[in-house]
Amino acid sequence: MQLRELFVPSAINLDLAAETKDEALKELVSCLGLDGKSEGILYKMLKRRENLGSTGIGRGIAIPHCRSLVVTRLRVAFGRKLSGLDFKAIDEKPVRYVFLIVAPPLEVSNQYLPVLGKIAQFGKEADVPEALAELSSPEQFIELLEAKDL
Amino acid sequence: MDQQLELLLEIQDLRMQRRELTDGSTDLEAEVFDVKIEDAIRSLDEKVEELAERLARGIRERYRRIADKAPRVVAPVINGICYGCFVAVSTARASEADRNLRVESCEYCGCFLYHVG
Ligand SMILES: [Zn+2]
Repeated sequence: MQLRELFVPSAINLDLAAETKDEALKELVSCLGLDGKSEGILYKMLKRRENLGSTGIGRGIAIPHCRSLVVTRLRVAFGRKLSGLDFKAIDEKPVRYVFLIVAPPLEVSNQYLPVLGKIAQFGKEADVPEALAELSSPEQFIELLEAKDL
Repeated sequence: MDQQLELLLEIQDLRMQRRELTDGSTDLEAEVFDVKIEDAIRSLDEKVEELAERLARGIRERYRRIADKAPRVVAPVINGICYGCFVAVSTARASEADRNLRVESCEYCGCFLYHVG
């Protein structure tokens, strides 16, 4: 399974309205098309994960992630906020690119950790933040993953 | 959704997170996200306990009995199947109208049930 096959255009938001970390988490959760109650539970879980340590891995990239019973399969979303969000990232720099990953407790294909690892690796590549900054459509985001053979 | 069920769901998700930290994502969380694993586990245990204290007495007692034995206390029900034991739960239970409106248990494996999707 390639990373790009997991991203659907409706869950790629290149211009988040969010002004804060919490708003960004909510906005990305809302891209997944869950019911309101499930969104609330998922948001709470993501916050709980953030409380263990920020998922801002540096260089403007954050990867909030968790498992939850409210989803039935692995879901991902991408959000961009060019003016930056305070995510309490490891390098203390503002976060501009947010990759959300959520998975059910049980997955047949066990993709959650490999996907988390791949996105973390992707985020560490030198040219990636600049490439993400230049995207002008969700399709270009998919093409970027394709160019990286992800 | 029943509030007690919502608490149980949160507890289950946190227990899952804890399990994964010790058996799965340990290296990733420590190396990529700089999580202090022992501190994180302690914090999750405290949170789980705090939430468990908010369960009504009868449910809390049932919860403790299950939690002592198995990692999973709440099982998702997907398309009428309990994913704790992979047995079909009776159709009356799975009826959409009262899904997740009260706390139910699987009569086969004992897990609390959460209808997903
Ligand atoms: Zn069962």
